[in-house]
Amino acid sequence: MPKHETPMLDQLETGPWPSFVSDIKQEAASRAKNERNVEFQIPEDVCDDLLGVLELSYKHGRTHWKHGGIVGVFGYGGGVIGRYCDQPEMFPGVAHFHTMRVNQPGGKFYSTEYLRQLCDLWEFRGSGITNMHGSTGDIIFLGTTTPQLEEIFYEMTHNLNQDLGGSGSNLRTPSDCIGQARCEYACYDTQALCYDLTQTYQDELHRPAFPYKFKFKFDGCPNCCVASIARADISFIGTWRDDIRIDQEAVQAYIGGELKPNAGAHMGRDWGPFDIQKEVIDLCPTGCMWMDGKELKIDNKECTRCMHCINVMPRALRIGNDRGLSMLVGAKAPILDGAQMSTMLVPFIKAEEPYDDIKEIIEKIWDWWMEEGKNRERLGELMKRQGFQKLLEVTELQPDPRMVQEPRSNPYIFWKEEEVEGGWSRDINEFRKYHQR
Amino acid sequence: MAFISSGYNPKEPMKDRITDIGPRKYDEFYPPVIAKNKGKWLYHEYLQPGVYVHVSETGDEVYTVRVGGARLMSVSHIREICEIADKHCGGYIRFTTRNNIEFMVDSKDKVQPLVDDLMGRKFSGGSYKFPVGGTGAGITNIIHTQGWIHCHTPATDASGPVKATMDVLFDDFRDMRLPAHLRVSLACCLNMCGAVHCSDIAILGYHRKPPMLDHEYLDKMCEIPLAIAACPTAAIKPAKVELPGGEKVNSVAVNNARCMFCGNCYTMWGDGIVIMAGGKVSNRISAPKFSKVVVAFLPNEPPRWPKTTETIKKIVEAYANDARKYERLGEWAERIGWERFFEKCELEFTHHLIDDFRDPAF
Amino acid sequence: MDYAEAKEKIISELSKKKGKTKFYFNDLAKILDAKPRDAKKIVNQLIQEQVLEFWSSGSTSMYGLKGAGKQAGAEGE
Repeated sequence: MPKHETPMLDQLETGPWPSFVSDIKQEAASRAKNERNVEFQIPEDVCDDLLGVLELSYKHGRTHWKHGGIVGVFGYGGGVIGRYCDQPEMFPGVAHFHTMRVNQPGGKFYSTEYLRQLCDLWEFRGSGITNMHGSTGDIIFLGTTTPQLEEIFYEMTHNLNQDLGGSGSNLRTPSDCIGQARCEYACYDTQALCYDLTQTYQDELHRPAFPYKFKFKFDGCPNCCVASIARADISFIGTWRDDIRIDQEAVQAYIGGELKPNAGAHMGRDWGPFDIQKEVIDLCPTGCMWMDGKELKIDNKECTRCMHCINVMPRALRIGNDRGLSMLVGAKAPILDGAQMSTMLVPFIKAEEPYDDIKEIIEKIWDWWMEEGKNRERLGELMKRQGFQKLLEVTELQPDPRMVQEPRSNPYIFWKEEEVEGGWSRDINEFRKYHQR
Repeated sequence: MAFISSGYNPKEPMKDRITDIGPRKYDEFYPPVIAKNKGKWLYHEYLQPGVYVHVSETGDEVYTVRVGGARLMSVSHIREICEIADKHCGGYIRFTTRNNIEFMVDSKDKVQPLVDDLMGRKFSGGSYKFPVGGTGAGITNIIHTQGWIHCHTPATDASGPVKATMDVLFDDFRDMRLPAHLRVSLACCLNMCGAVHCSDIAILGYHRKPPMLDHEYLDKMCEIPLAIAACPTAAIKPAKVELPGGEKVNSVAVNNARCMFCGNCYTMWGDGIVIMAGGKVSNRISAPKFSKVVVAFLPNEPPRWPKTTETIKKIVEAYANDARKYERLGEWAERIGWERFFEKCELEFTHHLIDDFRDPAF
Repeated sequence: MDYAEAKEKIISELSKKKGKTKFYFNDLAKILDAKPRDAKKIVNQLIQEQVLEFWSSGSTSMYGLKGAGKQAGAEGE
């Protein structure tokens, strides 16, 4: 017999897609049975009450959670988000139901041994319900009580060699794509850079002193599988600056139909025979490709590395060898001035350990934003308010046409005094010698 | 339920404290075939929906079987994932950015037994535990936020609409018949913790009523300067209010015309869903694009949100029938024109879709 | 400014504000009249000594004198 009737949620148990309702019920049953004899440190029926309060939200069409602001682990300003139920008498098991963010490993690779250790800890000291993973990238532990927070942190740091992630006005947990670990498109080692910067900036990640949140995301190539360009204050996007490597035999194999275009990604429909002119050459955004007899030619100087031709013919075309990344800055999702996409700041930089050049730019950006940023102002908003030119000034970078979509269409330039010959002060008496009043 | 100490002493929080150690290092968790071939991959190929192979210059191959996951996951479910990974994959596993789970094996003969095992596991209610799919020119998992399971400002649930939508789109999760891949995302309020603003189709929870004011308790429960600071459009001002009993209290006043219903200041209703379409993040062929609002409001209809899922299905079908190969949803809409987009998707164009927030788009 | 002086300044300035117990990092830096990075060192030490405590909405972080404010009572379990 379930503790609470959940007629509405029960309707989400049917249909093919994995049902989170069935899963929470399974966890509730597992806790009730307790075959492992776990000494649960939060109420055994926490999952029953979670289903109960969720059913109530389905009935009301409204949430039943309130946020709390003080709970956390000592000395850290992030990683824990306080949560309280607004019907604690009805659902005492979830009266206190705080979230913990746990910094995920790069590429989200796990050994089962380690995953089981996380499960054991969270079953013992929490609800046993997680998110794999949260939007930022963290492992999310969903629901525990205040006294357990320090206990979990202690066990995690002492036994699992694992730290919390970020929340609040600090560096948020950086996240990366699968990169060179299993992708031939990756132009730099996303996991190595992500890990290095995460470790270098632990203080920024745990102790908030920024005006607002700050995100790093690492995409190995311009396909942008982790959407860095849409959501990171600094997007690190892999690129190259020499020539696309061409295997002309493989090009012919695609033309001849022996190889499937787009790695077979379109196999669910008969799109007819592959047409290199129509599907690759004509779709190239800069028109820099052509067939010269049986040879595919690319004018690499005109290539913007959009990845289309490489995506369509991965066995014939490969990324160049002189690789690095572009740094784009200022993306964010909602409100104020609306969504913003990242904009190009550093067109090309090598990604080599110890990444000093990259860190130098990051720290210059932070120095500016920490001093000039208003409370709750994202970097992209500060860039709008003070101007991209200001950002160039503080990062000591040279302007480049790749940084803009197009040059300004108004001529109202704010000249600086030092840019104008002779400065701004003039001698009025000297002027009057030649011009009457 | 006796309290069991981890060793932490609340009287001396700094004793033996370990901090700032960061995450576990990624290469501790690479399966051997990944560790050996990192940076050496030559190409990849899809073999069937949800299954693909990467081939290395060493001649090694890694076969990946991708399965959908409800990102809300119990430890029992994760332990089952571990059991499968131990049985088939040498004890390693990975997750994708879009909440899929990837099981990797190092030879082709290990693929089918793994796929059969995964597809054979079902929850008691009948849904698949580990549906294989989500690759190539199809629909992969929906990235989403917390919703009513844990968030304090949601305008809709997250896990419920996602489950209902993926049930409707399930055939396209298991297939690769679309002109290009199609990404669906959900954020349960306009704070957009899940950055939905560059997705082919975005489901966005939206409040439509300004905050309710509990004058009697406001000053007792919350700090008024915080509520004022929380408002992005400066619509909240401090105010003295007289209660029905005659008592004067400190409270706030809301300029309703300025409110854009973000929920930062708390409790606002009139909730429902906005549908956005045509965004993308990749730089392929055309630059990344923002999603555009194509349906201004659909009601919240728990538990299965039929109007929302029906609208999404209509957009997907119109796109599948009409777009050219490689064309993303937004590229298709721009080529045929938005007039034609609304016609082909059978959506009504209302005045709400004309921007009056910041930048007039007309 | 040495640490003891900084600490006293923070305590006296924050206690003065009526009806307001949560402050942004920038407010503290202003009180200390210090660059953000220098202010952060002092603020972190004040947290360690439990003079200040963090407050977080999840998206934004603020600082307050430990135990001050309306939520402290409600959340102090």
